[in-house]
Amino acid sequence: MAARSGEKAPVVALAGLPNVGKSTVFNLLTGLSQHVGNWPGKTIEQKTGVMQYDGLTMQLVDLPGTYSLTANSVEEQIARDYLVKERPDLVVAVLNAASMERSLYLVAELIELAPRLVIALNMTDVARQEGTKVNVGALEAALNIPVVPMVASRNQGVKDLVKVIGVEYSQPTVGRIVKHIESGSETEGDISHIAQLLADEDTTPYPRHWAATKLLEGDQQINRLLRERVSEGRWADIDSILKDKEATAIAIAGLRFDWVRRVLSTVQEKRPLGQISLTERLDRAATHPILGLMILLLVMGLAFAVIYGIGVPAQQFLEVSVVERVQGLVFNQMTFLPDWLQGLLGDGILGGAGLVFTFAPILLLFFLAWGFLEDVGYTARVAFVTDRYMHAIGLHGKSSLPLLLGFGCNVPAVMGTRIIESRRARLLTVLLAPLIPCTGRMAVIAVIAGAVFGGWAILVTVGIIAFSLVVLAILGLVMNRFVLRGKRAALMMELPLYHTPNPRTIGLGAWQRTAAFIRRAGTVILIVSIVVWLLSYFPGEGIEESFLADIGRWLEPLGKLMGLDWEMMVALLTSFVAKENTIATLGVLLGQEGSGLTEVLREMLTPAAGIAFLVAQVLFIPCVATAACIRQETGSWRWMATSIGLQLVLSLSLAILVFQIGRLIET
Amino acid sequence: MRSERVEEYLEAISKRQRTETPVSTSSLAADLGVSLPAVTEMMQRLAAEGLIEYEPNKGATLTAEGSRVAITTIRRHRLWERFLTDILGLKWDKVHEEACRLEHATSPETEDRLASLMSETDTCPHGHPIPDKDGNIPDQGVGLLSEFEPGQKVRIAAIGRETPDLLRKVEKWGLKPGVVVSIESKDSKGSMGLKLDDREVVLKKDSAAALLAKPVGPDEETVKEEEVPISRLQAGESGVVRSYAGGRGMLGRCLSMGFTPGSPVRVIENYGRGPILVSVCNSEVAVGREIAGRIMVTRKRG
Repeated sequence: MAARSGEKAPVVALAGLPNVGKSTVFNLLTGLSQHVGNWPGKTIEQKTGVMQYDGLTMQLVDLPGTYSLTANSVEEQIARDYLVKERPDLVVAVLNAASMERSLYLVAELIELAPRLVIALNMTDVARQEGTKVNVGALEAALNIPVVPMVASRNQGVKDLVKVIGVEYSQPTVGRIVKHIESGSETEGDISHIAQLLADEDTTPYPRHWAATKLLEGDQQINRLLRERVSEGRWADIDSILKDKEATAIAIAGLRFDWVRRVLSTVQEKRPLGQISLTERLDRAATHPILGLMILLLVMGLAFAVIYGIGVPAQQFLEVSVVERVQGLVFNQMTFLPDWLQGLLGDGILGGAGLVFTFAPILLLFFLAWGFLEDVGYTARVAFVTDRYMHAIGLHGKSSLPLLLGFGCNVPAVMGTRIIESRRARLLTVLLAPLIPCTGRMAVIAVIAGAVFGGWAILVTVGIIAFSLVVLAILGLVMNRFVLRGKRAALMMELPLYHTPNPRTIGLGAWQRTAAFIRRAGTVILIVSIVVWLLSYFPGEGIEESFLADIGRWLEPLGKLMGLDWEMMVALLTSFVAKENTIATLGVLLGQEGSGLTEVLREMLTPAAGIAFLVAQVLFIPCVATAACIRQETGSWRWMATSIGLQLVLSLSLAILVFQIGRLIET
Repeated sequence: MRSERVEEYLEAISKRQRTETPVSTSSLAADLGVSLPAVTEMMQRLAAEGLIEYEPNKGATLTAEGSRVAITTIRRHRLWERFLTDILGLKWDKVHEEACRLEHATSPETEDRLASLMSETDTCPHGHPIPDKDGNIPDQGVGLLSEFEPGQKVRIAAIGRETPDLLRKVEKWGLKPGVVVSIESKDSKGSMGLKLDDREVVLKKDSAAALLAKPVGPDEETVKEEEVPISRLQAGESGVVRSYAGGRGMLGRCLSMGFTPGSPVRVIENYGRGPILVSVCNSEVAVGREIAGRIMVTRKRG
């Protein structure tokens, strides 16, 4: 294999458990030369990058974080299929020195599949705090695998790791004997029996012995694959062995942990028992049913105070000093351009996509705050505290993480549902996520509420957000009860140790998410902005006679039920492009030179109509980007259509209801 | 002062005497790993010192004096083994050789202090009884494990051969002295199927013959600890995972998180509703109440 280094860059795969600082190690190894894409055919993020050592260029692939290589989740299936099918030249196992048992369990599985292995023993500082010490030399000797101690969060040990990877690639450690974990145990018989039955069968790309072990471990994917390939009679034989073999699955896991504990007994020194760690003491509060909930509310409140405290002025600055100034430039200085081009540039592009772009700072701050909470280790506690409430709507605690992310932007929220293992729970979360008022909608609410309700604006804003959450809860209850019935998912997640956050990891993650938003503003949103503008400009007798006005008037009967004029209906409609567009559209339709949008709105909307509009707006169909993301994540047009249809009906009917009730009270 | 060699020989003859009298020179040569002529030479020397009775071609028997010396050596050996494992923390497969060296350099006074320090135990780590000061060895009433029959319930008493290799295997099987097993099966070749707790172990005949066991009476049967779902443990309580009730559903995830039989767990928080927080494998894991109801544990007392 070493011979082919001339033709193709060697491939190094990074494997490890979740929460071991694997992405930090990946970022350090690749610097900024990384590419974020998806695993083929899957919606799991794939990060690749390039690293250099001694003139050798290596391709680095970040495998999804996994606890084992049995296909318990999509991540685990991807990781092990990559190891088996793509055969990376070298695998780096990133271990958490503070949690060696579970880390080595994965190593026990990797040893069988990876030709060359290097261990990056990360978080040695956390381990020391916890009173555990790992003897690196002894670990190397026990496993016959090179081990590099690291503190990736403080950039320690990276150079050594690069060097050891390079050396291990060019001069692999010899004499690594792959000893099957079960040898000498009662499980050996079952495994070799199945392996024999598979002897003439095609188990490619999986090694035969490995496939036999996974069958016994209850791996559904391997089971399906082999069932298709193996003749019926042979499969019946295998099936008879597999029957009632839950005990064997337990025994195999037990054997791996026995191996792990044997290794650890010689390499690890532990603190005296009875000492309660800092993490545990903090969790007494953070996971408490009442106190924990209060901490959650406090943390979220604080986060939003910071986000809007800094983000809104920044957005205002971009809107007034950048977008509006350039707009002024277009209309006043570039008079040599034809009218329509001025309009397209100024109203269409700058007024539409440009305005959406100004919300980037708020999103960046949101993702920074989120990344901070995630890196500190707090988000896992959120899942714990909210688990019991999510149960009411048939979900578990993990679902609350993407939903909270939705307050920033619904797109990462829908993508964030990837952490949920069960398909049913994931679908339900995907359908609920667009009901969370994102920053875009918050901006619209702020403007409209401010214009119509003056001093009462804050109260109305809070009320509308609470209202949308109540609707979300009711919808969840109904869906869980009548539509997506099935077995409930259960929570099982590790709560990582609290640790000092790493600015680099947080910054990079927030940047990647914000960049995705900016790309959208530059593509989909730009195109639709242009289309909306074209519809408002042609056939050319002013906006009142445009195609857009035609559409709006066609919708007016519906609008009347909610007390809304055609301009408001068009504004609502264009929020499909991006929620912020509502303001942009109203700006185009109502904003006459000189007089502000605020006064026009105040005259136009009665309080009942104002609230009806806010209800319609906050529940209206997911924006284009979110809808596209739903299609991508669920892999189905049907679910996308369901989501759009559901929210269309919900928003319009509730808005009509609210207006009709409001009118009764007003008169 | 008698030489180490003499004590070694007497010790070996004493152990052999339980199954063979007189003890043949060839058995001794095998046990001690020395040549036949060397054994013969030593036999003559020991006989001359009055420690054994020796008949060429037949073998050796210990005299009263020889027996006293042998048992004292054995007593010191087993006390040292206990000391090495319990106090110094050496692994049980390493202590035999260490004790072999120490036993010969032990004064009666050191022996007494060792004995009072180790007074709570009456066997060596491998299960063999430690002779009392007067040289009495309590009869354990044990037999070879390979000689018991299916249906019987026995307690592993001791490990016959103290080779590191065998001891490590025994540890892996979970058959350390004190463990109660029920014999499930025995085939024509003498392979035995054993059941302990919730696991099954199959031993080949020669492995089973290396273990000494003793039948367990019905009254002596260990009080079976009650298995409860982990969700029934209160905050702060510890336990040991025993089994997994019901379905493959989340089994794979539970196993890879470390909930395997034998794993120690500690409940950090349990509010009666909602998920529970468990410390397993040195880290905190949130376990939804439905799964927590399926992970069966026994409480650890104290």
